[in-house]
Amino acid sequence: MIVPDSIYGAVILSIIDFLLSILMITGIGVVLYLFPLLNKLGKLDDQAIRNSSH
Amino acid sequence: MLDQILGFLKAMLDQTGVSHFWWGNIVMIAIGVAMIFLAIVKKYEPLLLIGIGFACVISNVPGSDLILPGGLFNYAYRGIELLIVPPLIFFGVGAMTDFGPMIAHPKLVILGAMAHLGIFIALIGAKILGFTINEAGAIGIIGGADGPMAVFVCVKLASHLLPQVAVAAYSYMALMPLIQPPVIKALTTREERLIRMKQMRPVSRLEKIAFPIVIGIVVNLFFPPVAPLITMLMLGNLFKECLVTDRLYKTAANDLMNVIIIILTVGIGSTMNATTFLTVKTIEIVALGLIAFLGGTASGVIGAKIMNLFLPEGEKINPCLGSAGIASVPIAARVAHVVAAAEDRENLLIYHAMGPNLAGVFGTAISGGIMLALLGVK
Repeated sequence: MIVPDSIYGAVILSIIDFLLSILMITGIGVVLYLFPLLNKLGKLDDQAIRNSSH
Repeated sequence: MLDQILGFLKAMLDQTGVSHFWWGNIVMIAIGVAMIFLAIVKKYEPLLLIGIGFACVISNVPGSDLILPGGLFNYAYRGIELLIVPPLIFFGVGAMTDFGPMIAHPKLVILGAMAHLGIFIALIGAKILGFTINEAGAIGIIGGADGPMAVFVCVKLASHLLPQVAVAAYSYMALMPLIQPPVIKALTTREERLIRMKQMRPVSRLEKIAFPIVIGIVVNLFFPPVAPLITMLMLGNLFKECLVTDRLYKTAANDLMNVIIIILTVGIGSTMNATTFLTVKTIEIVALGLIAFLGGTASGVIGAKIMNLFLPEGEKINPCLGSAGIASVPIAARVAHVVAAAEDRENLLIYHAMGPNLAGVFGTAISGGIMLALLGVK
């Protein structure tokens, strides 16, 4: 166990977890901001994909 | 002769459940019936509460073989305990979910983390009440409002608390329409609830196909402890979005999901036996779970209001959206929409609320993953 089994440990765990969660989810948000760039690679047509699978 | 007959009758009676019936069973049967009542009359998440309520009733009838080892309800519980059911639930959820709102509005993704302060309020509260740090973590994750993730993390941290944690998580998720609105209303003004969101950009097929692949890589890279759940969520979603596996995605989203919901609900309900359930610890866990849900809702709304401080006029977000960041897809998104629609019926917030709501799933997974890593659990 890295975190001590005490109230102090619970507080430390909470602070680190909350801040890292915000950081990580912000990272996912940043990745999602870049998603529109994918559209520069081309366009996938839904109907064409469906037809090609039959 | 008469003594012999009476002896036989007593022996027979001892083999039935009647002689083992106690007041705790009556209390738990009443709770089970109340769940069924809420599901049928109030329409609170009937898919969850009917199964949980019924299994709760049956597991409190002494003598029921279904909950004993070898019984069908017991096998259902084993499926949860062995972590087979939670990833399959995520698989079905992924196949049912359109992540478009989350991809289209990355700004709202952060609400998926902000609405999880409840986890840590409950965690510290549990530690103050004398639970071990691992037990406190398992209790805290109830505040993530994500049933499968709560089960997953609880099994890893404190499997002996699984009945209480699972029941609290799923019951509160079902009761979100009662829990969240007062908190949202207390923390927002009418003007804030009237804020209309801008229309989102359309999300292309390529983006929707790339999303599960990218997230699958990121989660397995950074959060291996909780990767099985998110990976299955992404696999189900890829089946849906790639458009060439219609049969598989429809099976995952419908038939398989229905079977898993039945297994999940009776498995959870069957753990609600009075002997193990009616304890002070259970009351403490249930109370902490409620605090976690209230805290998470409040922190989400406050988080949205803080974001508004930095956003220019015309770009401000409806703070009701913050409450949806608590996960519990799609219940919390629906609640956010209903609260806003109560002020302005034409304010259709549901699609926007799905963004933070879906981000909340990742927020819970990330919190759970970090917690497991910090506690040294694999």
